[in-house]
Amino acid sequence: MIKRSIILVAMMCVGISAQASERISAVGSTTVLPVISQAAEAYHKTHPDLTITVSGGGSGVGVASVIQGTAQLGMASRETSSEEQAKLDGHVDNIVIASDAVAVVVSKAVYESGIHQLSIAQIAAIYHGKIKNWKELGGLDKRVLVIDKEASRGTRHVFAKAVLGSAHARAEGASIVSGSNNEEQMIVSRSDNAIGMLSNAWLNDKVRGVDVVVSGTAIAPTIEHVRDGSYPIARGLHVLLPHSASTATKDFVKFLLSEQGQAIVKQVGYLPVH
Amino acid sequence: MVAVASMIILLWFLWDASSAYWYQFGISSVWAAEWYPYESLYGLLPAIIGTTWAMIIAMLIAVPCGLAAAIVSSEIFPTAWQGWMRLGMEMLAGIPSVVYGLIGLWVLLPWLQNSLDLLTGHNLLAAGMILSLMILPTMMVMSQDALRLIPIEQREAAMNMGMHWNQRLLRVLLPQAWPGIRSGILLGLGRALGETMAVMLVVGSLDRVPDPIYNILEPAQTLTSRIGREMGEAAFGSMHFSALMACGLVLAVTAICLSLLAQRKRSFV
Repeated sequence: MIKRSIILVAMMCVGISAQASERISAVGSTTVLPVISQAAEAYHKTHPDLTITVSGGGSGVGVASVIQGTAQLGMASRETSSEEQAKLDGHVDNIVIASDAVAVVVSKAVYESGIHQLSIAQIAAIYHGKIKNWKELGGLDKRVLVIDKEASRGTRHVFAKAVLGSAHARAEGASIVSGSNNEEQMIVSRSDNAIGMLSNAWLNDKVRGVDVVVSGTAIAPTIEHVRDGSYPIARGLHVLLPHSASTATKDFVKFLLSEQGQAIVKQVGYLPVH
Repeated sequence: MVAVASMIILLWFLWDASSAYWYQFGISSVWAAEWYPYESLYGLLPAIIGTTWAMIIAMLIAVPCGLAAAIVSSEIFPTAWQGWMRLGMEMLAGIPSVVYGLIGLWVLLPWLQNSLDLLTGHNLLAAGMILSLMILPTMMVMSQDALRLIPIEQREAAMNMGMHWNQRLLRVLLPQAWPGIRSGILLGLGRALGETMAVMLVVGSLDRVPDPIYNILEPAQTLTSRIGREMGEAAFGSMHFSALMACGLVLAVTAICLSLLAQRKRSFV
């Protein structure tokens, strides 16, 4: 009996001493997630007493979690709306840590059949259901698989604002609705007729970004075009830091804005702040 | 007693969380066809139709197959094989549902898309098929248990009377095993109604009423998939949140009604 209670107390002491390290959770946009994830790993090496758990869910989830206090750090890939800002004003800081481009992506087969550029009007027509087959645009003879995103995702907000007119515009031509960047990338790479919206860091051999035609010039979704402002569907990547966050969390955000943090931003494929 | 009390508490909680939605939109929102939270449109019809179809497809596939597997296993197979079959089914029952979703995504969807020449494999048929795979083990295990409980004297008496194999099955064994089989069906129904992860990955999540209504080859939405996708970002206490809670309430009420309906039939058997 005594032996058991000693073991129990010893275990509790170990448990309590293990709590000396701080754990915070970062929740939100899957676009910002790779940066925070890699930065957290790098930061943990020099500051082992801070453990950061990073999870996705989308910009909407990130903002809602910070408002409700369930996450210590929010990640958003879009501007906050006026209602959200009203709830955040005064006790949460909105810090831009990077910029990126929202690329309009097509499957490899579509790209290789000749679709290398699309105008905003054409993309809008596809998403409104007016253009149903790739051959109408000069590509292969296949129906268009239009991939929309969940309405709360930051990528969709930015895309809808630039292409469909307003951040919450309906896309009547949508075929399926996907969630995170990873899910959308997987669906586009496994099909041969898809069009979707993805952050430029997710482009690969099977998922190709088309150039967007603005006033006659085709502009590729690259970092240089985000830097000079010519790519029309670009956005800042935000981190939401509550005023009530611990000093360790605030130091982590400072790390994100430092040279090391911005080097990670560049490595992931986004544009650093300066 | 505790079970009934917890059910009442659950229903009360769901009602309380969704009451703002019901007061504002009324019962007619159940057949409103448009779900656009950002335009304050919260129609439940597309998701209700989706859930109904997924459930019907799943039950139509899983119940006959599970029952047949149970009959074959307990009446026809030698005893040695019964153990292996049982083991296999119990292993299937233990697989987490998200794994079924991933299998569906990786294997089932491309196959459906290619063999039926569809735009995409994400549709209600895929959701129904994945659900049936999840219900099958439960159905088979419970039916087999029910059949094995029938004493061997019943089968001997039937053979003595000169009954054919199928007469013995239909007239003697199945009616007696029916309560156990019914439990299996109800458990399967509960799982089909409530499965979120797997359905979310394969159903397409497009809030649209199938056109025409029996078109199960188009992407659609179910109540569980909608809650799964949108719950994280609905601010606690907002109308969106109440609407999602209302989806949950519809699910709970449906499950309770179906199980009550199945229980009442008992008096006619």
